[in-house]
Amino acid sequence: MTQMRPIRLTVNGVAYEAPVEPRTTLADFLRADLELTGTHLGCEHGVCGICTVLVDGQAVRSCLMLAVQADGANLMTVEGLAGPDGKLHPIQQAFVEEHGLQCGFCTPGFLIAIYELLENNPSPSEAEILDVLGGQICRCTGYQSILRAVHSAAAKLGAVRSGTAQESA
Amino acid sequence: MKPAPFEYLAPTTIGEAITALQEFDGEAKLLAGGQSLMPMLNMRLARPGLVVDLGRVQDLDYIRESDGHLAIGAMTTKRTLERSPLVQNRQPLLHAATVSIGHPQIRNRGTIGGSMAQADPAAEYPATAVALEATLRVIGPTGDRIVPAEDFFVTYLTTALEPGEVLTEVTVPMFEAKTGWGFSEISRRHGDFAMAGAAVTLSLDAAGCCAEPRIALFGVGPTPVRPRGAEDAVRGEQPSDLLCQNAGRQVSEEIDEPLSDVHASADYRRNLAGVMARQALSDAMARATAGRGGRA
Amino acid sequence: MAIEIPKRLEDLPTSAPRWVGRRVERKEDAALLTGRTQFIEDVVLPGMLHCAILRSPFPHARIAKLDATDAEAQPGVVAVVTGEDALRWSQPAASAPEGWGTHCLASSLVRFVGEPVAAVAATSRYVAEDALERIVVDYDPLDPIANPFAAMEEGSPLVIEEKGTNVMMQRLFTWGAVDEAFAKAAHVFTEKFRWNRVGANPTETFGAICEWDPMSLDLTVYGSIQAASFFALGRAATFGLPSNKVNVKSQPHGGSFGGKGGTRGTDIACLLSRKAGGRPVKWIEDRMEYLTSGGSQAWDRHYEVSLAVDADAQATGLRVKLVDDLGATGEGYAAISAAKPLAAFTGPYTIPVAEYDLTLVATNKLPAFPYRGFGPPPHFFVLEQMMDIAARDLDIDPAEFRRRNFIPSDQFPYTIPSGNEYDSGSYEEVLDKALALAGYADLRAKQAEAREEGRIVGIGVASAIEPGVFDWNAYRTVGVPGIGVPEGATVSIDILGMITVRVGFSLEGQGQYTLASQLVADYFGTDIAAVRVVQLDTQSAPPSFGPGGSRLGVAITGAVLGACERIREKMSAVTAVLMQTEPDKIQLLDGKFAVVGMPGAEMSVAEVAGTMLARSDLLPPGIDPRPEATHVWTAAGRTEPDDQGRAKSYLTAAQAVHVVMVEIDRDTGVVEILKYCLADDCGTRLNPLIVQGQTEGSVAQGIGAALFEEYVYDEDAQPLTATFMDYLIPTINEIPPTEQTEVVTPSPFTPLGAKGCGEGAIHTTPAAVMCAVNDALAPLGTMAREVPAAPNRVWNLIRATQG
Repeated sequence: MTQMRPIRLTVNGVAYEAPVEPRTTLADFLRADLELTGTHLGCEHGVCGICTVLVDGQAVRSCLMLAVQADGANLMTVEGLAGPDGKLHPIQQAFVEEHGLQCGFCTPGFLIAIYELLENNPSPSEAEILDVLGGQICRCTGYQSILRAVHSAAAKLGAVRSGTAQESA
Repeated sequence: MKPAPFEYLAPTTIGEAITALQEFDGEAKLLAGGQSLMPMLNMRLARPGLVVDLGRVQDLDYIRESDGHLAIGAMTTKRTLERSPLVQNRQPLLHAATVSIGHPQIRNRGTIGGSMAQADPAAEYPATAVALEATLRVIGPTGDRIVPAEDFFVTYLTTALEPGEVLTEVTVPMFEAKTGWGFSEISRRHGDFAMAGAAVTLSLDAAGCCAEPRIALFGVGPTPVRPRGAEDAVRGEQPSDLLCQNAGRQVSEEIDEPLSDVHASADYRRNLAGVMARQALSDAMARATAGRGGRA
Repeated sequence: MAIEIPKRLEDLPTSAPRWVGRRVERKEDAALLTGRTQFIEDVVLPGMLHCAILRSPFPHARIAKLDATDAEAQPGVVAVVTGEDALRWSQPAASAPEGWGTHCLASSLVRFVGEPVAAVAATSRYVAEDALERIVVDYDPLDPIANPFAAMEEGSPLVIEEKGTNVMMQRLFTWGAVDEAFAKAAHVFTEKFRWNRVGANPTETFGAICEWDPMSLDLTVYGSIQAASFFALGRAATFGLPSNKVNVKSQPHGGSFGGKGGTRGTDIACLLSRKAGGRPVKWIEDRMEYLTSGGSQAWDRHYEVSLAVDADAQATGLRVKLVDDLGATGEGYAAISAAKPLAAFTGPYTIPVAEYDLTLVATNKLPAFPYRGFGPPPHFFVLEQMMDIAARDLDIDPAEFRRRNFIPSDQFPYTIPSGNEYDSGSYEEVLDKALALAGYADLRAKQAEAREEGRIVGIGVASAIEPGVFDWNAYRTVGVPGIGVPEGATVSIDILGMITVRVGFSLEGQGQYTLASQLVADYFGTDIAAVRVVQLDTQSAPPSFGPGGSRLGVAITGAVLGACERIREKMSAVTAVLMQTEPDKIQLLDGKFAVVGMPGAEMSVAEVAGTMLARSDLLPPGIDPRPEATHVWTAAGRTEPDDQGRAKSYLTAAQAVHVVMVEIDRDTGVVEILKYCLADDCGTRLNPLIVQGQTEGSVAQGIGAALFEEYVYDEDAQPLTATFMDYLIPTINEIPPTEQTEVVTPSPFTPLGAKGCGEGAIHTTPAAVMCAVNDALAPLGTMAREVPAAPNRVWNLIRATQG
């Protein structure tokens, strides 16, 4: 049995402290130890992007990180997107309106990847959007509605930024 | 698909890392960005007893300009390289290679040092390093040495790194305005490892003929391949479509034993290598002709 | 009392539907988007253990020795099972054809790479995988059977010795005077085709948690399960349990597409739970397991097809010879995918006679499983290539050739030679809309220009039938019994007028809870937010199959509306008493029960429900006081198959025309889709937003099948596609934007006239893409006969023409 290592990290604004085995992946740590099961496992070899979380502001595949590597880091998972009162983030709202999800299993990964894109690049080009979306696999939607959702989300976030956003129903 | 057990260290200096590698009784592996090592750990194809994480080692993440070159720390991420105006403007071939790698989500973690040390035959960086005649700085128990890119990639997934050694820096030339470059690759899906690719640099001499052509192919052999015959055929000639076509054909003929897998047979790869070389040469000649060594 | 389920939207008791037929946002979404939905991998039970499975590295071998002692002794390991436990405690798997199943763990012989030989239950998956490495297995390799033709030869080694043959089934179906039609045809075209293994690959692999109760000897299974009651019956049969002692609680799951599989892993987890004294055991299949040993592979096919055409360009006969390599066992029920084509054998055409020479063969490959479409996609690929071969030979535009052969719209319901009946259709209209959307004439002009420039450009116009609402009788020919697929729903209105719908299926992406809510909300004139859909497990639910065979949208509509009709009847009777009139004077409209001809004499649904439940003094004796009813729907008029397998099986026939333009790079063989247009007709669209999503998703899967996805085996039956680097699921960059338009020809047979649409475009897309590829290659004098048209293959074809 290898030595357990204590790690400290913040996830969705909450500070955690826990001992982990070095070999535990970040994905498994989030899901099992922190019980944040919104991040799913699709392939465990870094191709599908379903396990994508935000680490220090960057979208990464959590199956390709060890939990110990996240010591000291600030994370966001899908559970951190909506408001504390349950109000959907504009990206989530765009997904509802554009039918950007069917089974929903791949959706958290997409949301995080899109979140990073639009945080850093509020008006991305089509090529930039496709570059990011190309790293996430969906089997249900055929991607067209997800692309529509990204455009809608960019517009919604733009409206929020410029103070012209409407309260959604 | 869960890793087998291993010990883990996250040293903060190179010296500590080297000591850890040396002192461990058993197989130790260095962890850089994790985009190559982690899948292998998850699949239990790699089963080191110790993982030494370079992620906390100080001063391995930088891009420094010095004497017409860019010195890049081994732990610099592809994301950093992609966004660097210095790289975009003064080393556009490296930039082109970088944006071809995977997707932003991979580039957020993947490092230049990790790619070089992994030496995957289908990877973009090793061939780019060979085309640029880059040098790689290696620090180990017996000291510090500089390895030319050409000597760094030994065979399939194997580099010149000896046990206990760590790749710390990659140095590439900055292009002058007159340097022509081309980068072409073909993969089954956007962002996948290439079935074949070519990184090319050249310039034009006073007479407008091709000078110093360097073609580095990836995906076609255990290491990057420099098809010297094709380079010789290009050297001293006026740029033209015909020249590129012939060079492409020459490349196909020169390749020794192309890899074969479910995506591409040896024959098909041989063909693709020629096509990629032709395209990259054509782009390089166009850029050199336009006299702009920067981004086209 | 017989009830009338509304056949058209106009028949709903609403003056204008607010929900049904509209692009309603899904209620399921908020929980999915916030990560709150509990998929099976998220479920944690007290005392739960984790399973890992040791699998054979050989396709065919004897197990000489197996020693798990060291694994059992590892800290954290609670139980280990091997083939002995499977022999002792379980039966061989059910299969189609019958008698081609084996135990969930191999004991003396392994028959495919990845076949389970032992399994461990431990405190974590990490620990369980460590323990697997301590199990020692010695194998004596045997000659692998990797090719179905070799498998059929005299003297071939046998996959399952006791069967005495590798041929699972061999049958010739003859529908009409086929020999005569071919003998007198003006033209006969014959061609061979190869379709390689592809499969479902939902983003969520299979998973289950099994809990064996050692006291009461019953079994509870949680899982990512598409057809929960069917799955429960299977477990009962495997473990010799009474059918009411198995309870399946299916979780919302991350897609399924038919190919979730998981029966072996579930049975193994059950054995482990039993061995662990009843502790729940969780098995989550990882992706490599899924790709190499799960329900991931389908349609390993060798076709020889002939089309007879008369002098007037009418197709007069179709012969299809199929050798289908089903792998080592029939446990995946993949045989059904060879039977389903009978439901739409001749496609949208008036071909009057046909023949099907079908051979199902066992080899040492992974047992095949269902995949969306369940058989017709490769069948339509070959049929559409033959139509194009004929059209090219006769120098007729492929769209026109199809038009001439379409079933005319005034001939429905139309019975095809293989026996099924198509309910309705407007095939020409669909063709015209597709061609108009594509700007077909313009595309052909662009193609001509491109060809002048030496570019390789092709246009495919393909049409297929997308059968919907399956029935078991469609599969009788491969040994699956039964007629009728009941789907039940209970609708109940509470004392305050809020409505709950109880169903027996979990969600896998098609939004049926939203659909059920739309129906109830419009029926009782309330807001969709006032309706709640609750899932029951198999021991509590009304009869339910769940999604599959493009049935659930129609079936749940029938079940829900049937229940609503029953409630209406009861509530009308109550209202009549309260209003002192006769029940036939009471009409439900826009949420009110009103006396006909007496404006103002009305009660709201909530008022009537509240009265029924809280004012027993006002109700006459004997009246049922519950504003609640259960209705079980199944398609009417399904028939017993005759000796040629002919039966009225799939209830609906949606139809589509796809127009695709491709360009092939001469140097690399890469096929790029330049334009993708389609028109489809799936009858009444109960939620057009959802239908659009199903279409876009199935187009993407179809493109994957046509150009990217392939499970490769070497000559020794070793799988070479073990990761997502090898099996190429398309990303957004591989799927072009899809332009869609629609025609609505309601079904005369279904609730509200809707047709099944869930499998959708996967029936048509591979055919359309390959038609375009072959249109591109035709001037070069070559043809792509093998799917997928991967770049290496296409390049080989082009190179061969260059001499």
